[in-house]
Amino acid sequence: MSKWIENKEGMRVLLMGNEAIVRGALEAGVHVAAGYPGTPSSEIIENLSKVARERHLYVEWSTNEKISLEVAAAASFAGLRAICPMKQNGVNVASDFLLHLAGSGTRGGLVLVSCDDPGALSSANEGESRHFARMIEIPLLEPGDFQEAKDMTRWAFELSEEIKNIVMVRSVTRLSHASGSVRLGKLPEKKGTAEFRFQGPFLNPDTGPVSSMPVAYHHDLQHKKLDRVRELFEESPFNTYEGPEKPELLVITSSACTLYCREALNLLGLKDRVGLLKLGTTWPLPPKLVKSYLAKAGKILIVEEVISFLEDSVKILAAEQAAEIGIKTFYGKNDGSIPMIGELNPDLVAAGLSKIMGVPYLSMDGAYEKEAQEAAGSLAPGRELNFCPGCPHRASFWSIHKALQLDNRQGFVCGDIGCYSLGALPAGFQSVKIAHAMGSGLGLACGFGKLGDFGMDQPTIAVCGDSTFFHAVLPALVNAIHQEAATLLIILDNSGTAMTGFQPHPGLPINAVGQEAPKVDIARVCEAMGAKVVIRDPFNLEETRATINALLEQGGVKVLILRQICALSPEKKGKEDYRMQIDESRCLGDECGCNHLCTRIFRCPGLIWDKGTKKSRIDEVICVGCGVCADICPNGAIMREEPVSL
Amino acid sequence: MSDTIQGHGQAALRTRVRETKFCTACGACVNLCPYQAYYQDEVVTLHVCDLQEGRCFAFCPRTATDLDSLRARLFDPQDLTPEIGAVKDYSICRAADEKIRRQAQHGGTVSALMSLALEEGIIDTAVVAQGGDRFTHQGVAVGEAAEVRKRGKSKFIAAGTIAAFNRAAQSDSQKIGVVATPCQALALAKMRMKPFPEKDNNIDKLKLVVGLFCGWTLSWKKLIPLLKTRTNLEEIVGMDIPPGKGQVAVFTQTGAIAIPWEEIDPLVREGCRICLDTTAEFADISVGSARLPEDWETLRSWNQVIVRTKTGQDLIDLARKKGILEFREVPAEVLEELKKAALNKKRTALKTIMEKTGTPEDLIYVDRRDSVICRILG
Repeated sequence: MSKWIENKEGMRVLLMGNEAIVRGALEAGVHVAAGYPGTPSSEIIENLSKVARERHLYVEWSTNEKISLEVAAAASFAGLRAICPMKQNGVNVASDFLLHLAGSGTRGGLVLVSCDDPGALSSANEGESRHFARMIEIPLLEPGDFQEAKDMTRWAFELSEEIKNIVMVRSVTRLSHASGSVRLGKLPEKKGTAEFRFQGPFLNPDTGPVSSMPVAYHHDLQHKKLDRVRELFEESPFNTYEGPEKPELLVITSSACTLYCREALNLLGLKDRVGLLKLGTTWPLPPKLVKSYLAKAGKILIVEEVISFLEDSVKILAAEQAAEIGIKTFYGKNDGSIPMIGELNPDLVAAGLSKIMGVPYLSMDGAYEKEAQEAAGSLAPGRELNFCPGCPHRASFWSIHKALQLDNRQGFVCGDIGCYSLGALPAGFQSVKIAHAMGSGLGLACGFGKLGDFGMDQPTIAVCGDSTFFHAVLPALVNAIHQEAATLLIILDNSGTAMTGFQPHPGLPINAVGQEAPKVDIARVCEAMGAKVVIRDPFNLEETRATINALLEQGGVKVLILRQICALSPEKKGKEDYRMQIDESRCLGDECGCNHLCTRIFRCPGLIWDKGTKKSRIDEVICVGCGVCADICPNGAIMREEPVSL
Repeated sequence: MSDTIQGHGQAALRTRVRETKFCTACGACVNLCPYQAYYQDEVVTLHVCDLQEGRCFAFCPRTATDLDSLRARLFDPQDLTPEIGAVKDYSICRAADEKIRRQAQHGGTVSALMSLALEEGIIDTAVVAQGGDRFTHQGVAVGEAAEVRKRGKSKFIAAGTIAAFNRAAQSDSQKIGVVATPCQALALAKMRMKPFPEKDNNIDKLKLVVGLFCGWTLSWKKLIPLLKTRTNLEEIVGMDIPPGKGQVAVFTQTGAIAIPWEEIDPLVREGCRICLDTTAEFADISVGSARLPEDWETLRSWNQVIVRTKTGQDLIDLARKKGILEFREVPAEVLEELKKAALNKKRTALKTIMEKTGTPEDLIYVDRRDSVICRILG
């Protein structure tokens, strides 16, 4: 059990943002938690699963985010408190149910935590989830520090129960994954009791059936709830102001940007001239509060990440109140003071501030910057985005690439997000030519597979992972089979949701809290649907390649499962299949016709081109001994030896 | 083609030979490195090689070739003819052993000569083409005469034979004989020039090249769908071109199927349409089907043979001495007919080349100043 779960009320502890959210949920007495892994949100379910037994929680990794929200909503309808964390993409997946849920309303406190990823540090997009709050018309809270991450989460449950609707808490990577000091509150003792009551009158929110219909009635009710939310937000302690009474510039911000703004104002020595309005309740905005601060200054700078969501909302309020507070000059993303794309940091905020305020700012002394870059360059190994040593995906893409080249019909891979998105890079031999959302590879391949009548004869391969297969590929596979789309689905089955930290999925005989669970067999599912299924070990390069070529020449929907456990899996870690050696007498180095195939093309980080000997060598520190490279050396210079057990 | 691609490596080979579809799938660029492969009937790039100069480019029969230098290096100048290359000796013959003939396309001369070369230790390895899965073909190295005889039929589809030679040359084989089409023989001849002396030691293992007369090969990917409209692939036992009929005969277990030339012509590889060589001019000895005044059934059991080098002469003399081949008299007009046909092919190919490049100054892989080209174009 994590130490900080034991900590008593009033103690200060160092918590990661996601841990603070967990602590807030626990202090709120949460009963049910359901989510799908996705950076930067994954630690929320993980930490809750660790205390599930002690805190009498039900915790699950659901098949996808829509299902996780449905699971959490069921708890709410039964009168329990529930939390549903996900990354920004997940909100898109859940949004269909979310729209209906916002209409029907909730019972027990229900909190959706969206962890956005500005800068796409661990994502394939910079998705903005805040718009969902406005679009679906539910309250939005944005913690500005670690203490607030805990306190706001706890309060979100109370707010949800007060308005009987779901509340969205939005975090970002820098908050979810950084750590800060948090003073703990009290953990409740009681265990919840679940009962779904439906015997009451049709429209009774506590005892009647639950539905978003009649729509007009519920939509009107939803707006009345939002009116109440505005009132509560006017008084919220999560909205704070620091700065002079009459600032030359008012900065309005939220979320982790609060920290960047404070630091930037300090760096520039502008604390006495510039005011900082930090908002924690960002939709719907409390109009009176915002108006009172807009009135203080003629110039307004809005600092936020991803889309100009807060800026737009503030400008609407300012326009509505212009007659009273005067015309304002706005700075932010739209005028270029703050970058439209990427993650912010104190430097970027300071750069914007310095321009508006006319104060000089140099982020770093030029000489120091140069020295720092040189030091970093000399000490850190230069590594590109690459698969880990021993990663089965490298072997899989090697065979996929080779098969497509041999096939010689300009075939291509419709990829997916996850580790295997590296298949678009030299690490995956640039096999992936198109990649979008989870499961979209097969959906796209279905489409390409139906273009034969228009003269398209390029074969398509769709790839997905084992977890993604359950998340979003199943409907696409049904479609491919029913529409008779000629395609090959390759499932890169590495036995876990690897990229986010080996969370279990329905294909594994274990659940989120470590108990045995029925395992859903991917191969049998595909076969039952009517696909031809072949299972291969991707480490067997030639057999895999030949299988792919054979399948590419067959019509209909084929599924190839390439099964090999992730090299970083806890089950695998530390175990070598082979001890790899390079026979220096056989490695011809520059004299070989191979033109550095192993280090230039195969590119496993465990292989190094030794500039001294002008030959390849094994980096014994990171080589995990998968043995695959032995099969790619044209001169047989890479040798597998049985590992010595220590 | 104009010199738009820098270097003489894989990139140039890819742009100038494969993307232009001039590639004959001879296999010369395969198995020298891990970057090219032969599959079905195509040579493909597996990965990008960034070397600016490579054997792949140098050996390719469709990259710039100094044919006069090759002739000077390989043949006796007095044997050279403009139409069919060096001719030391010309004969009509066939395998004396009727069993060999039955396994062969025509007279079984190639099988008999390669078997003899193996049995006499002139070579220890024979590189020949063999049929594979679903009518594909590929080169294979064999060490036994019986293995050569099993692979006697004409293929009509590229077999990438030189890829198998490259592999055999890196193996323990010391004396290698190759049965080669004209483009394959040209690739081997270019190898013998050793443009990369430090990497070309293995070419000295090449002891014998038996050339095959060749008019064209067909694209496998295009041929298979056509054949499937006429018969089951499994039932096909052979193919041939009956002279003067304007059709290709496909022999099945239940009889012959005639396919009109109009249907076959679109299947011919583009790389074959620019080929100047009918008779495998860069072989030691070249063998083709006989063109005689008699009926087809009779002439199908005979070959015509051009001996080009001393190696070729020694082998055929040995075959004659040992009674392995039987000879018949050569009608006076036959050689002239062959020369005429070969010259026609050169003219047609040159016309096609000039249509592609738009100028007689750019002849893709041959030099405008070449002595034979000068004889034809003036």
